[in-house]
Amino acid sequence: MINRYFDSMVSTLEAKFSKQPSARGKFTLEILRLGQRLYSNEHCIAWCGVCIPFDLLSAMGVTSCFVEFIGGTLASAGTAVPFLEASEQAGFLADGCGWHRAVIGATDKGMMPKANFVIASSSPCTAGLATIERLARSFDCPLFVVHVPGDLSKESVRYLAQQFKDMTVFVAAHTGQPLDEGRLRTAMKKTNEARTAAAKAYDLAKRVPSPTNGTELMNFGLLLPLFIGTQTGVDVAEAFRDEFARRCERGESGVPGERLRLMWLQESIQFKHPLIRMLRDEYRAVIVVDELNDIYWEPIDVEDPYIGLARRTIGFPFNGPASNRLKHIAELALAYKVDGAINPCHWGCRQGTGSRGLVEAALKEMDIPVINLEVDCADSRNFAEGQLRTRLEAFVELLESRRACQRVN
Amino acid sequence: MKENVTSNVGFTCAYTPLALIDAAGFAPYRILPLGSSPELAGRILHDNLCPHIKRILDRALGHDLPALAGVVFLNSCDAMRRLSDAWRAVRPGDRMVLIDLPAIPGETAVPYFARELSRLADVLSEWRGEPVSQKTIGESIERYNEAANLFATLRERLRNGGASGGAARLQALYNRAVTHPLNETCAMLKIAAGEPLSHSIDNSGVPIFAFGNVLPDPEAFELFETCGAKIVEADFCTGAREFAPLEITGPGDILTRLARGTLSRPRCARMIKPDKPGGIAEEVLERALACNARGVIACAAKFCDPYIARIPGVKELLREAGIPLLQIEGDCTMRSFGQHRTRIEAFAEMLRR
Repeated sequence: MINRYFDSMVSTLEAKFSKQPSARGKFTLEILRLGQRLYSNEHCIAWCGVCIPFDLLSAMGVTSCFVEFIGGTLASAGTAVPFLEASEQAGFLADGCGWHRAVIGATDKGMMPKANFVIASSSPCTAGLATIERLARSFDCPLFVVHVPGDLSKESVRYLAQQFKDMTVFVAAHTGQPLDEGRLRTAMKKTNEARTAAAKAYDLAKRVPSPTNGTELMNFGLLLPLFIGTQTGVDVAEAFRDEFARRCERGESGVPGERLRLMWLQESIQFKHPLIRMLRDEYRAVIVVDELNDIYWEPIDVEDPYIGLARRTIGFPFNGPASNRLKHIAELALAYKVDGAINPCHWGCRQGTGSRGLVEAALKEMDIPVINLEVDCADSRNFAEGQLRTRLEAFVELLESRRACQRVN
Repeated sequence: MKENVTSNVGFTCAYTPLALIDAAGFAPYRILPLGSSPELAGRILHDNLCPHIKRILDRALGHDLPALAGVVFLNSCDAMRRLSDAWRAVRPGDRMVLIDLPAIPGETAVPYFARELSRLADVLSEWRGEPVSQKTIGESIERYNEAANLFATLRERLRNGGASGGAARLQALYNRAVTHPLNETCAMLKIAAGEPLSHSIDNSGVPIFAFGNVLPDPEAFELFETCGAKIVEADFCTGAREFAPLEITGPGDILTRLARGTLSRPRCARMIKPDKPGGIAEEVLERALACNARGVIACAAKFCDPYIARIPGVKELLREAGIPLLQIEGDCTMRSFGQHRTRIEAFAEMLRR
């Protein structure tokens, strides 16, 4: 079923975007093509945790992806609910993360392609680790676990770098293909090129008014890591950079008449809902930055990539104590000059939503209002659209009145 | 300086190296999710975090704690990490340290964890005002192993039906052992182990193996017994897991061996053995069979990801083995636990048939 979905979407979008090319279209198409590869039965597949270096796996010829991608795909296609129900029937309580429950349900129903091996990471979350362990058991396939330390000390970086080297040995043992140093260098060059282009795109998005329309960069920072290390990653990042640059040159904003600038925290709601469009169309309130849309890491040393990969992984703002994330959110809020923040509070996410009170306090200190929604970003069953709409409307009205007061003062 | 130092150091996770705290001259004090502090943690921790850590923060916010020289947190799961974040926010004046805990046992993780233990030793030395020596760490490990062996004796008595006070008393002893100095603990356990076997105990309950994360309230074990379920063996982080003997073996200095021993202890579900994915299911089955349990009760605090993600696998394997499992979720209060009385009674009744 899912492979047919990917095939049909790829054909449809290829036809559509050949006539109307856009950065978002290119990005969406590449996401769907990744889905096609995962379900093609023609590739060596590794299901992974979010923080695994996919550019390293790509250099080893492995088609890899974090499992939450499938949860998100099912939700965005409006087909997650039967899988969520399947996982609940198998005993996985609805209090757990919707992404993971959807994946477990899909696995139990035979809808996940069998992995050649799986690679889990202790960051960003305990539940992700448990889900990959479950997949290893379900698929009866080898499991490699990466423990990501919480700090950037030299010892911690070396410890993680060594684990990544061990990971390449593990991968080679199961693919029969040892790591080719030339391919690794090429992949790291591509990683750095994508990094540069994405950083420029983000810089452009910071302008007032912003060239982004509030939805086109949705999931970009989350999914770009799946493409870095390849020409595709470079092309997608450059497409956004160039499109934003063109708009800036022409003096166009992503949303004409931008009135409010918002930050979206953590992940996006993946199933179809009207809230962001409502903010944009009715209030000219634009999501100028998603928390995950940022380049927080230094370029990778092409000749000695493991240290850079380890630093990148440890430096992920969701890793370690909440103070890392709070600092990052504060930096984004300032850089993007946001008027307010929306925290979806993905139900079931202990590591992200668990910090809700701390995030709220940190933004309050900066005099930035935040609205906490209560949703499961993958599970539409408890999505109280009317209530959420009313609360968001009240929130943007509050922001508008603050703006008006600021102008008077 | 030393004279003014408070003697208790708080901790919240069973992987905390108690011997290191003891060796530094402190009494490890486990902040158990017990007591009647008002529920205040919700203002900083989200509702979806496990009640274990929320009750601990309630105690901190409700000033229901003894004087503490500092608090040691372990990065054992997302919830524990968030607890340390919240603690820092609500008690900024407290001394505290967050120690990272690898997700996997094995030799790759040992040197890293040993470094973390070394960092902890430095922090404790600073709190105490004098260095902790390798020799005293070794001695503390030995004394903790002595306590672990005494607890093993008491558990054996419980299995054989001669322990007065049953599983509830054993739990009370665990709680006392993690909140009092090691010397007092050993003395108390020696007295308990030296008591004559009781012959007036009702041993008619159905033998049950219970496992999960936190179940510190002795009343919960009394409840099992009044429902006709006899807990012959239990595996909780507030019980036997906290007092498993540490095997101090292999190469390296004392901290390296302590790291190795700690990582290879009977595990919390958060610890993964990559060569046996989901192997906790086999471990539960083995232990249930070893103690001749007729059923298994899984007690997990609500929202505990490590357990809620693994219990379905345990359930599947036990079903295949013909051993029934009852899953109980709680919020670390007897108010919620008591609501399961009818289910526990029905479970025991079913097993008796």
